[in-house]
Amino acid sequence: MVKSALFLIFCFYACSAFSQKVGAALECTATRTDFIYDCVIRLSKGGEPLAGAQITVGADMPSMPMAHNVKPVKAKPGMKPGEYQAKLDLEMLGEWAVKLRLAGPVKDQLILLYDFDEKGARPVTRAGRPPRK
Amino acid sequence: MDDYVVGVLTNIGLFSFLALSAYLLLIAGEMSFGQQAFFGVGAYSGGVLTALYGLPLPIAALAAMLVGALAAFLVGLPTLRLRGLYFAMATLAAAEMARILFELYRFQREIDGELVGPDGTQGFRGIRWIFERGVEPEGYLALVWGLLLIALVFFLLVERSRLGATLRAIGQDPELARSCGISVERFKLGVAAAAGALAALGGVLFAHHNTYIEPRNFDIMLGVHSLAYALIGGLGTAVGPLLGVVLDIGALEGSRVFQGYRMIAFGGLVAVLLIFRPRGLLDEKVVHWLRARFS
Repeated sequence: MVKSALFLIFCFYACSAFSQKVGAALECTATRTDFIYDCVIRLSKGGEPLAGAQITVGADMPSMPMAHNVKPVKAKPGMKPGEYQAKLDLEMLGEWAVKLRLAGPVKDQLILLYDFDEKGARPVTRAGRPPRK
Repeated sequence: MDDYVVGVLTNIGLFSFLALSAYLLLIAGEMSFGQQAFFGVGAYSGGVLTALYGLPLPIAALAAMLVGALAAFLVGLPTLRLRGLYFAMATLAAAEMARILFELYRFQREIDGELVGPDGTQGFRGIRWIFERGVEPEGYLALVWGLLLIALVFFLLVERSRLGATLRAIGQDPELARSCGISVERFKLGVAAAAGALAALGGVLFAHHNTYIEPRNFDIMLGVHSLAYALIGGLGTAVGPLLGVVLDIGALEGSRVFQGYRMIAFGGLVAVLLIFRPRGLLDEKVVHWLRARFS
């Protein structure tokens, strides 16, 4: 009984640690249609590309939470390991919190803050600090 | 269920807590532009309790509601001495102060080799209690709507009670209510605290749904939306604010052809609606008519 409890506690913390070490970066370019972006998502874990993940990509505007209901899309595997492609249909330019929900080898949820403009997207930086991944 | 539908329904549920919170103050005769502050207080306090201290969500939610109620009580003490537009402006100022405090609030701890906790303008990541327990979006949707249903039933019961009648009396004519021996100030403070607790509950649920919050989430836009939902839906019954949220998000989702301009179009629609129905679609007259017809 005690062993089982200890095992469960170990699993709980091990799983928590396991799920929090995925890194992600986004590279988006604007398409010819307003507010639609072709995005490449790069996932890594422990410095190595993370392949085989199933990613659902959503987005919300931090300044207008819950007001935009961007349709979540499934990302497709890209050209290189750890790369995934998705087409994001946003409703306006500005700062978006891109939500990546991962399934497959790693179950996780990552939030990436990017500023979308007429050309593409770049990570949001605030108060002189580097962007967080 | 489709991810998109689940997302929309969850957002409707989360917004409804804030709309009900604004509605509660409206029926007591006060228009608050600051309920987003208590939504934020709930989000931050609930997030800190689960992410940094490992408390279960139900306990964190109860604690966050208490903190939200206390914050609303403290804001209400000076602001409820004001009336009408002055009260609205004071609550807006208080909400902006709260948002700036969130921007200054840094309280992080290292958990599993990562710094977790509020980090000023950088936001608060890692509110993962729900996610780490494998709760799927459909399950979370059921949780949000279950709690909303409980809140709604509570509202409907209160509205049919003496307390509900007292609140409406205060809202309609505070001087007359005072002359009947009702302690208007005390009642309004209680209402403000209850509204704060309700907004805080919505905030906790929002934070755990998103796993990430930041001060900009709780700016004036959220407060205006919540107030608009209550006013659009109607002040005759607690179902009104929910109707307002459903209509707003439904109308916005149904007008995707306008892309980014749909917010502007919808703003115009709201203005027109409020000119013709200043107390909303389900106002007191409609509710009385419906009750007479169906009871």
